[in-house]
Amino acid sequence: MRFSLIFIVLLNLPGSLLAKPVDLDEETRRIASELRCAVCQNLSLADSPSELAGEMRQVILERLKEGKTPDEIKAYFVSKYGEWILLAPTAQGLNLLIWVLPFVVLVGGVVAVGFLTKRWVRTKRKFPPAALDRPLLLQEKTRLDSDLQELDFDYQAGRLSEIDYADLRKTLETETAAVTRQLESSPGAEAGISRKDLATLTKESGAAAKKPYKRWQLASAGAFLLLFGVTLGVALTKSVRPRGSESGSITGDFLTGTDRGGLPTLLARGRTAFENQQWPEAIDAFKKALAIDPNQPEAHAYMGLILTQAGHADGALLAFDRALSADPNFPLALWGKGLALFHGKKDYSSARATWERLLTMVPVGEERDNLQKLIADAKRLENGGEKTSAPATAGLRDQGKRLEGTIMVPSSLQAKISPGDTLFIIVRRAHLAEGPPQAVKKIPSPHFPLKFSIGPEDAMMPGVPFDGKMEITARIDKDGNPATKSPGDLVGVYRKNPVEVGRSNIEIVIDREL
Amino acid sequence: MRWRRLLMTLVPILAIVGVLAYGFHRDPRYIPSPLIGHEAPPFTITLFDGRKLSLSDLRGKVVFVNFWSSWCLSCRAEAGELEASWQTLKDRSAVFLGIGIQDTEQDALAFVKEFGITYPTGRDPSSKIAIDYGVWGIPETFFIDPEGRITYKHVGALDPAIISAKLEEAGRRVVSDREGKGLYQSIR
Repeated sequence: MRFSLIFIVLLNLPGSLLAKPVDLDEETRRIASELRCAVCQNLSLADSPSELAGEMRQVILERLKEGKTPDEIKAYFVSKYGEWILLAPTAQGLNLLIWVLPFVVLVGGVVAVGFLTKRWVRTKRKFPPAALDRPLLLQEKTRLDSDLQELDFDYQAGRLSEIDYADLRKTLETETAAVTRQLESSPGAEAGISRKDLATLTKESGAAAKKPYKRWQLASAGAFLLLFGVTLGVALTKSVRPRGSESGSITGDFLTGTDRGGLPTLLARGRTAFENQQWPEAIDAFKKALAIDPNQPEAHAYMGLILTQAGHADGALLAFDRALSADPNFPLALWGKGLALFHGKKDYSSARATWERLLTMVPVGEERDNLQKLIADAKRLENGGEKTSAPATAGLRDQGKRLEGTIMVPSSLQAKISPGDTLFIIVRRAHLAEGPPQAVKKIPSPHFPLKFSIGPEDAMMPGVPFDGKMEITARIDKDGNPATKSPGDLVGVYRKNPVEVGRSNIEIVIDREL
Repeated sequence: MRWRRLLMTLVPILAIVGVLAYGFHRDPRYIPSPLIGHEAPPFTITLFDGRKLSLSDLRGKVVFVNFWSSWCLSCRAEAGELEASWQTLKDRSAVFLGIGIQDTEQDALAFVKEFGITYPTGRDPSSKIAIDYGVWGIPETFFIDPEGRITYKHVGALDPAIISAKLEEAGRRVVSDREGKGLYQSIR
């Protein structure tokens, strides 16, 4: 009775009283040992001496005190830092590979070893060879004969004891007798072992001994060595640099993927990003270009254009001046400096002076006409006059003057368009391959045939009149990142380029895959 | 047969070289944030002027949260630009908020004074807010839209052009598909 009472009391006690008291510090350490330190390489939170790791351990302890379970605490860190924070990734999705692959390789290895051993044993068992395999029997007989001769020689030279010699000789003689018996019973035995047979066999075995590796083995070993050497050579020469600071890496930017290519590549990347209005990418590329050559005028000029666009006239002017100090007649910098002075600083006389310098370099044509219009405007405003035409009122004046039409994709290419693709309509001033385009329109997830209309509001630079002859192209971008033209992107050029602004029946057929 | 053997040799070699190339190409310190596109973790911070500021008070505005430290070189590099951007953008319903981490109060205040920072700035003494935002590099900046959702994260020094572009995007509730990266250093 008493025992059953105690039993009932025990059953009704809260679980926490019955359970062994949890050591919170130990539990914190255990959880921390399963999480990765975010600021050091390959250390757990438990082992890391960093300040952040200490603060994270404190968070774990506090959450344990709040009654959170270890899984909940780990889930909290995963929600903040992603799966990266787990030292042992969860066995889900692609991660599953990490868990499964070692076992697959292990099983594969065991199977391969088994297979090879079996083959090796089978090869060994071939001796003495099957009764009907006459050439192999002949080969075996030759081997045994030469072994016997060698044995005699060794014995006479005193390298073998009497007992060993007798023992080995007996074994060899038994084997020779067995092979001879088989030879005699095999077809063609009547011919006996001819000298020719023996000569051929000796030649074959000699050739086999001289050629221990097959050609494919040598070729693949050579290819591997070459590949390895080239990779190592390229990687080392490109990656190692003096350590800039304590936290710097001797491998620099190359291995971390933050530097892709030299100056021309960076400039090209920057231009493309600029054209596609990808400002962060453009800034990144031009900054890297400037890190390589701090006096690169084009990079400074583009940085200036980006700053003008963002409304930072002072920064822009500084950038243009840097470009002009490197190349006093750099057209893009002169043009941009004029824009920054005109719009940002309202300094019309300086803007006019800058543009007039540029005017001396621009050949007769549309570009020159536009520039002259800008200069005329600056002059008018300089004298206190009202703005009557471009640039600031260009948008209003040109309202209605647009390029409109349809973009089509032939059915053969329709299947290559995915829902996530982005369409870019790019308008450049005719015969002006370099520099930023006049206007760009970005249309995510386009449906074809697509009616489009591109006008002054899509202009890259404020203040440049949207009129005259233009070249219009369209591109369906696969990765949605216009800074990179990648294989699979689809492009189309208007067949009747150049086209006068104001036209409304433009038909662009996207007919080429990059 | 010969081709099969050649293939059996080359395929594992190329696979190993491929894995090595991939490994060499990525930044092992970089931790992609799972927070972009999700609700910004709520917090309350005591500013250096003694006021308390909660993120929830800023609902309806675009919020720019910048984690910094006085000892971080990139933070020093961007500090002037941040203040200049704040002066330009403060009237456009955007709120800048600086959060100093892993710093003494004295050092943090000296930093604020040195760069003449006028936007709301406070200190996160035990890095609780920083951990809540998954901060690992510094400076680290989060752009939060009027609905309280993180639209963009930038690790490293910021540029005025990116600030205005990303604030404008946050205003339009556009979530960036990629994080930005500049010159950064790991926190301590």
